[in-house]
Order: sequence, then C-alpha cells, then structure tokens
Amino acid sequence: MFHHTSLRCAVLGLLAAAALFQALTAEYFGLEILTEILILAMLVLALDIVAGFGGMVSLCHGALMGGGAYAYALLSAKAGLPPLAAMAGAAAVTGAAAWLIGAVCARSHGIYFIMATLAFGQMAYSYVFEAPVFGGDDGLGGIPRLDLSQIGIDLSGSRGFALFCLAVLAAVYGTAVLILRSGLGRSLCGVKHNEQRMRALGLTVWRVKADVFGLSGMIAGLAGALAAQHIMYISPGLLSWTVSGEALVVVILGGLGTLVGPLVGAAAFLLLKHELSAVTPYWHLVVGAILIAVVMSRANGIVGWIEARWGGRGDRRAAEAARKQKSEEVLGDA
Amino acid sequence: MAHDLGFWMLQALNALQLSMLLFLLSIGLTVIFGLMHFVNLAHGSLYALGAYFAASLAAIGGYWMGFFLAPVAVAGAGVLLYSGLIKRMRNSGPMAQVLVTFGLIFALLDVTRFFWGDLALAIEIPAILDGRLTFLGIEYPAYRLFIIALGLAIFAALAVVLDRTQIGAMIRAGVDNDAMAACLGINVERLFFIVFCVGCGLAGLAGAVAAPLLSVTPDMGLQILIPTLIVIVIGGLGSLKGAIAGSLVYGFVQTFGAVLAPQAASVLIYALLAAVLVIKPAGLFPAKG
Repeated sequence: MFHHTSLRCAVLGLLAAAALFQALTAEYFGLEILTEILILAMLVLALDIVAGFGGMVSLCHGALMGGGAYAYALLSAKAGLPPLAAMAGAAAVTGAAAWLIGAVCARSHGIYFIMATLAFGQMAYSYVFEAPVFGGDDGLGGIPRLDLSQIGIDLSGSRGFALFCLAVLAAVYGTAVLILRSGLGRSLCGVKHNEQRMRALGLTVWRVKADVFGLSGMIAGLAGALAAQHIMYISPGLLSWTVSGEALVVVILGGLGTLVGPLVGAAAFLLLKHELSAVTPYWHLVVGAILIAVVMSRANGIVGWIEARWGGRGDRRAAEAARKQKSEEVLGDA
Repeated sequence: MAHDLGFWMLQALNALQLSMLLFLLSIGLTVIFGLMHFVNLAHGSLYALGAYFAASLAAIGGYWMGFFLAPVAVAGAGVLLYSGLIKRMRNSGPMAQVLVTFGLIFALLDVTRFFWGDLALAIEIPAILDGRLTFLGIEYPAYRLFIIALGLAIFAALAVVLDRTQIGAMIRAGVDNDAMAACLGINVERLFFIVFCVGCGLAGLAGAVAAPLLSVTPDMGLQILIPTLIVIVIGGLGSLKGAIAGSLVYGFVQTFGAVLAPQAASVLIYALLAAVLVIKPAGLFPAKG
C-alpha cells in the first residue's frame, strides 16, 4: 500500500512552503516560472502514477496534455462553454482517450508498450497538426482563463494564477494519493509485481490498467487545460513526443514511483533549464549528461538519492528495499 | 492521372526510395536490439551525425569523399559510444537504456549544433547522378534510383553475409539465443561490438545518402527516429526479415497514403502501427527466442 515515509512528508512540506513563498513574494518572471513548474509537476505526477506505480512507461502523456489543452481551447473559445465546464470537459475527453489507449496497449509490455503509446501520441500530434479546426501550425489563440471574480479571486494576474495552479496541484496530489490507496491502486501494484498471479486471483488485468491510465490521462488533460490558460495560446508542439520524453526524464530525475519525486524533478528540471539557457545555448547537452549520470548511478532519482543518504533508520530500510526492488523491476523489465 | 500506369510507377519508386533509406537505418537498430536487447534511441542522432560528416567532407573533397568516409567516421563515433556508455548499460533493462539513449539524443543534438551551427547545410548531388533517367515512359531522378540500388545492394550483401558466412551464422545464433551462443564458444560480446559499429556505420551511410535530398539540420535525427522505430516495431524487433518488411510497409503506406488520402495520410501509418501491435504485439516477423 502506498504511504509516505516521514522523509517524503518533509520533502513535500518543504516543496509546498517554497512554492507558497515564491507565489506570494516573487515578481512577474519568477511567477511565470513557478506556474510553469506547477503545470509540469501535474503532468509528471500523472506519468508517475502509470509508470512508477503501474510499470506502464507511457510516451503519450505529452500528447494527452496537449489534447487537454486543445479540448479546453475548443470548448471555451470556439464552443463558448464557460471555462469551468470546459476544464471538466477537457479532463473528461483526455480521460476517455487515455482509457482507450490503456485498454488497447494493456497487452503489450516493455519496449512494445512504450512504442504503442508513442504511436498513439504521434497519431494525435499528426491529427492536430493537419486538421483545420485546430488551426494547424499556427495554433489557437484567445483562450480565456477561469473567472473566479465572484468569490473574490482574480486569475488574470500571474500571482493569482500561480496560486490557483498551486491549489489545483495540491488537489491533484491528494487525489493521486487517494487513487493509489484505493482498491484500484492496490490492484495496480499487484499487477505490476505479478500480472499472472493477479489474473489467477480473478482480476481483470486490462481493466485495471485501462482505468488507471484513464485517471492518469484526466490529470494530464487537466494540466493541459491549465497550460492553455497560462499562455492563452497553444500550438501543436505541445503534443510532440519530445514533450512526453521530457516528462519521462523529469520523473526519472526526481524519482520514479515516489509521488514526491516528480514534483522535485519538475522544479529541478525547469530551474536547471532556465538557469542553463541563460548561461549557454547548449543547455540540452548538460541536461543530457545529467540524465545519463542519474540513470547510470542507479539511484532512484533525486529523492531516491536523498533517501539513501539522509533517510532515518526505518526510512532507510524502506528506501533500501524499495530501491533494490525498483532497480530490479524498473530497470529490469519496465 | 490516377489511371496512368506511369504515375503509379513513379509513386512506387518514391515509396521504394523511402523504404530503402529507412531500411539502412532500421537494419542496424534491429540487429543491435536482436543481439543484445539494447534499445538505442540515439540511432537517429547517428544518422544526423553522418549527414553532417558527409556535408563537411563533401565541402573538402567532393560528394564521394563524404559518401565513403562519413560511415567510417560514424562507426568511429559508435566505438566511442560503445566503450564509454553502451557497454555498461548492456545488462540494464529497456527502461534504463531508453533513458540513457534519450539523454544521448539531447547531448548529440547540441554537439552537432555546437560544431555545425543551427543553419541548414546543403550537399550538391554529384554530377554523374545529377539528372533524370527515362525508362518505361517515365522520368525519374537518377540520384533517387541510386538510393534504391544502394539499398538493394546493401540488403543483398547483408543477406549473403548473414545466410552464407560463418560470422552470419554466429550473429544469427546470437540473435536466437545469446546465452546458448556464448556456451558454444562464440564471443557474443565482441560480436555485438562489431555489429554495433556496423549498425552505426549504416546509420551514417543513410545520413550521407539522405543529405542531398533533405537539408542537413540538427533535428533531422529526431525526425527520422519515429519512422525508424515504427519500421522495426511493425516488422518485429530484432528480426532481419522484419526490418525489410517494415521498411516496405512504411514506405508504401506513407507514399501512397499521401497520394490517395492526403487528409488521413499522416494518421494512417500510426493507425497501422497500433493495429499491428493489437493483433500481433511482437510485430509481423518477431525474432525467435
């Protein structure tokens, strides 16, 4: 069953405090980066649920997020739905799409699962790129933000929007914990450990995978709806497979299957990216080198490294066990 | 136009040309996977590297110098990659390999940008291949015919080496069951090293050949990667028959799709891939074992 070690709780608290502090004190540029981090964190949280806890390494989550952004834009700007309904609609659309993808891909494993999800992601990318309703290469603009002025919250400024994103991320994190603690989440863990055994126990394995994939897709779609509101403009580049690849990189950087890790990873990745791109135009080189180093070090990302180093005795034992299991499972037969 | 035989011939040749280019890339990738279950996502970056080497060498000594030396140079880069990185990642699972080679894509992208800049480079088609050939009532660029011929020649050469020579038998044994092959006294480790370098060289060759057709840009490796992966997944990872079948399927579906159903063309190949994965999750011609 999923539970937080005290160290993870501490990291989570620290992150929340830092984000809140940043949201209340930072200037415009800092707030923009914070919002970017919060939205990326939501996407990689969704990815961590399927990849870290379900062993389903998906390369279509970028496309799901982009799909959510486009669904929101079309529902709000084109169909004239109120933003809140459009957000719910976007999450529902991506959730349904993700459920279907999960159901179709449930039979594949390892590299084939990665390829199958990649195919679906690219299919969505090509479709959005070609179909005239999505504005093609030009993208779509004029996307409205949610209007909460009735309850006294102004989302048009960057501070208000950053705080709003933080609140949504907190809610999503809570939901993710609930999902993982539910019967569905426990079944998912069982499926990851031994699919055969779960099938023998009478579980419909593909249903569990599809349901979790669908829920994860909803979260990714929600992140997309927020991303569309953040920049108020979207382009097909959002759905590109490199976004999914980057999300995977962020999850690994932070720590797979820890739920806190993705948040740490998102913050580290974007801060690194902004700092490095200010110094050198070749920041990809550095990020690539760091990624290679992280994977080759065999620690489970930043959080795994922290746990191995500073974890309390109980935590350390748990972390050690998890790490051993993880490097065998994740690196062995992802 | 659609009832004209010449038109179909033309499209078939276009499809064949695309297939042969993809074949050069996928054969290296698939044998590397088949032998050692190593997923090298950076294979596309090696193709881009080949195109850049070819462009630089062509500027010094003409097209043919690039054509012959770029594959060698890329194979050399393969040696560096192998000894520095891949050897150590050989026994990790696909997930770790995907990530390390993903990091490699990032790194190689910036390495090419660093040395050659962001602007697209161009290579002249050599004089002997510049122009069009007329046969069976159609005109076709000689250079594209050259690519088809080259692809077929490489295919024939590989088929002979793999089917008729001892090293081919060793490779096949390694693909089928590497542990058993090692027990029989085959140095699978060294075999893999050789195959890896040859695979890199073929990727470099593909880059050198494609360079005059497409412009040479840093992201050309990223662009070709997805089609290559589709080819080997449709064909079946690790299978030689699969590489050629997958290349032909991709080339023809893509080319004729663009002609017959332009609206659906881009989605068509992905839908086909999804269908293949649903019906035969291991591809059309999966490697045994």
